[in-house]
Amino acid sequence: MNTRIIAKLDVKPPYVVKPVHFEGLRKIGTPLELAQKYYDQGADEVIYIDIVASLYQREILFDEIEKAANALFIPFGVGGGVQTIEDFSKLFHVGADKVILNTYAVQKNPDIINKAAEIFGNQAVVVNIEAKKWDTWWECYTDCGRIRSGKDVLAWVKEVEQRGAGEIILQSVDHDGRQRGFDKELAKKVVESVQIPVVVTSGAGSLENIKELIEYAKPSGVAIASLLHYNKYTINDIKEYLRSVGIKVSK
Amino acid sequence: MSNIIGLINYGIAGNIHSIKKAIEKAGGIVKIINHATEFESVGKIVIPGVGSFKDAMSELEKDGLITPLKEAIKSKPTLGICLGMQILATLGFEYGKTEGLDVIKAEVKPMLVDAKVPHMGFNTIDVIAPNKVLEGLENEEFYFMHSYEVVNYTNIASLSDYAGHKFVSSVHFNNIYGVQFHPEKSRQAGIKLFQNFIAL
Repeated sequence: MNTRIIAKLDVKPPYVVKPVHFEGLRKIGTPLELAQKYYDQGADEVIYIDIVASLYQREILFDEIEKAANALFIPFGVGGGVQTIEDFSKLFHVGADKVILNTYAVQKNPDIINKAAEIFGNQAVVVNIEAKKWDTWWECYTDCGRIRSGKDVLAWVKEVEQRGAGEIILQSVDHDGRQRGFDKELAKKVVESVQIPVVVTSGAGSLENIKELIEYAKPSGVAIASLLHYNKYTINDIKEYLRSVGIKVSK
Repeated sequence: MSNIIGLINYGIAGNIHSIKKAIEKAGGIVKIINHATEFESVGKIVIPGVGSFKDAMSELEKDGLITPLKEAIKSKPTLGICLGMQILATLGFEYGKTEGLDVIKAEVKPMLVDAKVPHMGFNTIDVIAPNKVLEGLENEEFYFMHSYEVVNYTNIASLSDYAGHKFVSSVHFNNIYGVQFHPEKSRQAGIKLFQNFIAL
């Protein structure tokens, strides 16, 4: 199976930003510009996460999402501030193919995973995990790496699978935006804990980092932000490199 | 016959936005069908599908669309996409046993594969029986996103391989076409598939 190479947009409307360590935001461009750019570069999917919706407790901004969706003829995953079945419905209506849950499911009501999966199908329900490493375990954080939940990542991923999630996006609070490599141990443990696909993100600083992650943890996909945002590489550069070292990716 | 493509809109689970956009990109004209009376004005049918087999059938039933849809499928070129292809089958086994539209003799069952499910991502198709909708697309990749597959079917148009498991990735029977993958999410190859369908 091809490993999916995914572009991740962290959005603080109206801009895509790049948090370092989930702090210190830098403006990169608009979601529409970047969605178009990464589509043209050969991305397998685009992920859009409104990183402040939950924190600010405000409504999801559907217009921005629709504009980006209109540029894409590949799957578009959208999250940030999702709390109700109506949010799911509206997001699909403006062009999302998958809806990404985090804060509300972790902190308040995990049943929304079951409900959404039954209505929209497992494949459309994605759970995002912000993992923070402690001595002997990883804890689920929310609200862009700011708030603790007390939940153990490895127990939580099994629970969300049981509840009907179709995919997991795995972020690392410690590695995000630092471009110093992934938390490979965490990735491997999560991939081996569940049957559903796991997309790993947070930490790509070089092509070798991506190769090492794929070989070690065997994720279904890798989501990349900084490397692309700063034009260090294009998606095609990444795919070409991975092919040259024997890792299967799509055209 | 009218050249308009009727896109079936059923329930909150119908994700029709991206399909409409892709058909329009391919040069087609789309009419969203919400009611039984709207079939007459369209020349072709596209059945989308997001959600579960059971929910899809109960939404179609609730909207009174099952009988008119089955009638329209008899004569109008029809394309079922993902779950929209699956519900063409006789029976589905997602959240219990549900009767499908029974247009193609097949059952829909969970993918039995020693790999991650849902099967998600771009994959190739191996064309077994060429048809006009797949013309020129033999070497292309398409986006898959599914946990269930069509089995017991004889009119297979293409197979695909997931972790060594061969499954039906498209079917063709008279004027009816079904694809397990999402052409609307498959870059230029998907647009080309819609162009082929429009040209039928």
